[in-house]
Amino acid sequence: MDTFIQLTVDGLTIGSVYALIALGYTLVYGVLKLLNFAHGDVFMVGTFIGFGMLQLLGGTSHPVVPVWLLLTLMVAAGMAGCAALGVAIERFAYRPLRDAPRIAPLISALGVSFFLANSMQLLFGAQPRNYDIFTLDNASLYTKGIDIGNVHIALLRVITIVSALVLMILLWFLVNRTRTGKAMRATSYDREAASMMGINIDRVIVFTFVLGSALAGAGGVLQSLRVPTTVAIGFVTGLKGFTAAVIGGIGSIPGAMAGGLLLGFAESYAQGYISTKWSDLIVFSILIAFMIFRPQGLLGRADIRKV
Amino acid sequence: MKKAIGLALAVLATTVVAASAQGSPKVVQVATAGVNCKSTITLPLVTPVTGGAGFLGAEQGSWAKYAVKTLAPKLGLKVKFVLGDTPVEQGASVAQTIAQKYVGDKSVLAILGPSTSGAVAASSATYGQAKIAHISPSATRTDLTQGTAKEATSAFFRVVPGDYIQGPTDASYMVKTLHVKKVVLLDFQEPYSVGLSDAVEAALKKAGVSTSRLSAPNTTTDYSAYVTKVPSDADIVFFPTQKPGDAQTFAQQLIEQGKKAKVFGGDGSDGPGEFKAAGSYVSNFAPDITGIKADAAIVAGWKKDNPGKTVGSFGPPSYGAAQVAMEAIKLACTQGHGTATRQTVLRNIKKVKINNWILGGQFRWSTKTNDPLNAKFYIFQIQSDGSYKLVG
Repeated sequence: MDTFIQLTVDGLTIGSVYALIALGYTLVYGVLKLLNFAHGDVFMVGTFIGFGMLQLLGGTSHPVVPVWLLLTLMVAAGMAGCAALGVAIERFAYRPLRDAPRIAPLISALGVSFFLANSMQLLFGAQPRNYDIFTLDNASLYTKGIDIGNVHIALLRVITIVSALVLMILLWFLVNRTRTGKAMRATSYDREAASMMGINIDRVIVFTFVLGSALAGAGGVLQSLRVPTTVAIGFVTGLKGFTAAVIGGIGSIPGAMAGGLLLGFAESYAQGYISTKWSDLIVFSILIAFMIFRPQGLLGRADIRKV
Repeated sequence: MKKAIGLALAVLATTVVAASAQGSPKVVQVATAGVNCKSTITLPLVTPVTGGAGFLGAEQGSWAKYAVKTLAPKLGLKVKFVLGDTPVEQGASVAQTIAQKYVGDKSVLAILGPSTSGAVAASSATYGQAKIAHISPSATRTDLTQGTAKEATSAFFRVVPGDYIQGPTDASYMVKTLHVKKVVLLDFQEPYSVGLSDAVEAALKKAGVSTSRLSAPNTTTDYSAYVTKVPSDADIVFFPTQKPGDAQTFAQQLIEQGKKAKVFGGDGSDGPGEFKAAGSYVSNFAPDITGIKADAAIVAGWKKDNPGKTVGSFGPPSYGAAQVAMEAIKLACTQGHGTATRQTVLRNIKKVKINNWILGGQFRWSTKTNDPLNAKFYIFQIQSDGSYKLVG
């Protein structure tokens, strides 16, 4: 039972980060029908912004602000920085290609991905960056937390899971309960018709990139609180986020959340109960199974075509 | 029918072209082509410059570059130092691509590296066919130089001992000094860690220690689920990663889950700036050379060129590998009266002897294998201030 609880917590922690990334993929796809393959690298940039903010605030050994404020500012900086980056990417890499054949922005996305990874390496080097949260406040984020039976759930995990859930709820509220969200949904449904109804499409698309990239930035900082980051981290994590978006049903916001969590649980249980050696195989087999048996994903809509 | 015959002919022609490109005549030509020793010779170091093991390339590159800068003029050689990047995350194919690039470059007479065992296994045949000596400063997998099914060709050399020494050394320390009863070994599904884990596991089992094995993809960043599988009464987790930051993460996650096991890393885990979990262990093929009096001038010179950097364990063997390569090129130049070929350089590698070896004492090759003679591994324990203390 202890193992099950521990694996569930592990899956929830990593799954919530996957969900945040998957939301970025799904938001952009929903509005633009574009697979933004640079999204994983936006996540990576977020991890570095968080690290930079941490250093600015004195690092983990001598923080100049309380721990809660330090973490909040790091996540906020990651979100703001990535949102700005998302706007720049949309303006320079995707907007000029908005009416081009669909392959053009896809290639542009891959180009942006390489550009970000390589320019970050040029600027900051290849060595990993460790937030070193363990040394913060005498490792209190590791030693404090919730105990369920023999299982200790560190405060750091609780913070990661709760923060991700709060962000997801806020996003759901924004998309479903605000005028901007309504405009996003209208643009997603029919861009031309939305434009004719007076919706500023450019603004909606930019806002979508702001949202998606900010979530990636938050995910980047939250993940890097526990594991080191490198300029190469965007590819694999982005791939997992994309897988989660596809499993959930790309274009569906609840689907991206569900897909991320499902992927996290699958990874964790596969490592815990089946084989640590074959966990990636199992995870990507799930993707293949979805592509074959339910291509629209968990909560996506089947694409009906008139003939 | 005509189409089918045409297609078959096209396939045949393509095969012939491909086979002739792969075939040896051109390679042999380059291997025997003489290079004027007064011209600039290119000396590449093949190592991970980017990715999670990028620290390795940075450290090795700085030392090899320093060796070229200081030793080449003394030997009367003009040497251009370059880096070939083999990120560990991208697998073996990158090493093969880089090997083909250097084989085609006539100014390359020898190679430093590849640094990782996987890259050596993937590219040694290509270097071997071109008669290019490739001297690794850090690839430790036993099968590269020993055994019946060697993974590297006779053109491969290493200036550090292999896992045939590291495995038993680590296991012996665990058994005799730490008195372990239960050990978990983790590999990363690539040649270095699988080979080293095998070597340690075999020695532990022989000593009657209970062992269990976990295996993680090389791209893993979060080890929570692996930590969950570590029994609470395990004494040691042997963690031969090539990314020291991952060893730190694993050690922290062990504490997070209340596990008492300590992390014991191999040479790839040695990274004082990144792996600093107090009480953990690492083994390495190089001592701390700042304690060797004869190296004082070298250390001072390197520090001047690399301000703010600390002397690690991976850099000095790269200096040594560069020294061996350049000494062999010098010998080949002397024999060839001002002209050296890849073949003559290769023949001279094992003739190199260095009295003031950067890792201490004298450097000589084993007469049986392409390994150094009398080399050994050292064990360090990480202290509460993050420093590495020599304990075995």
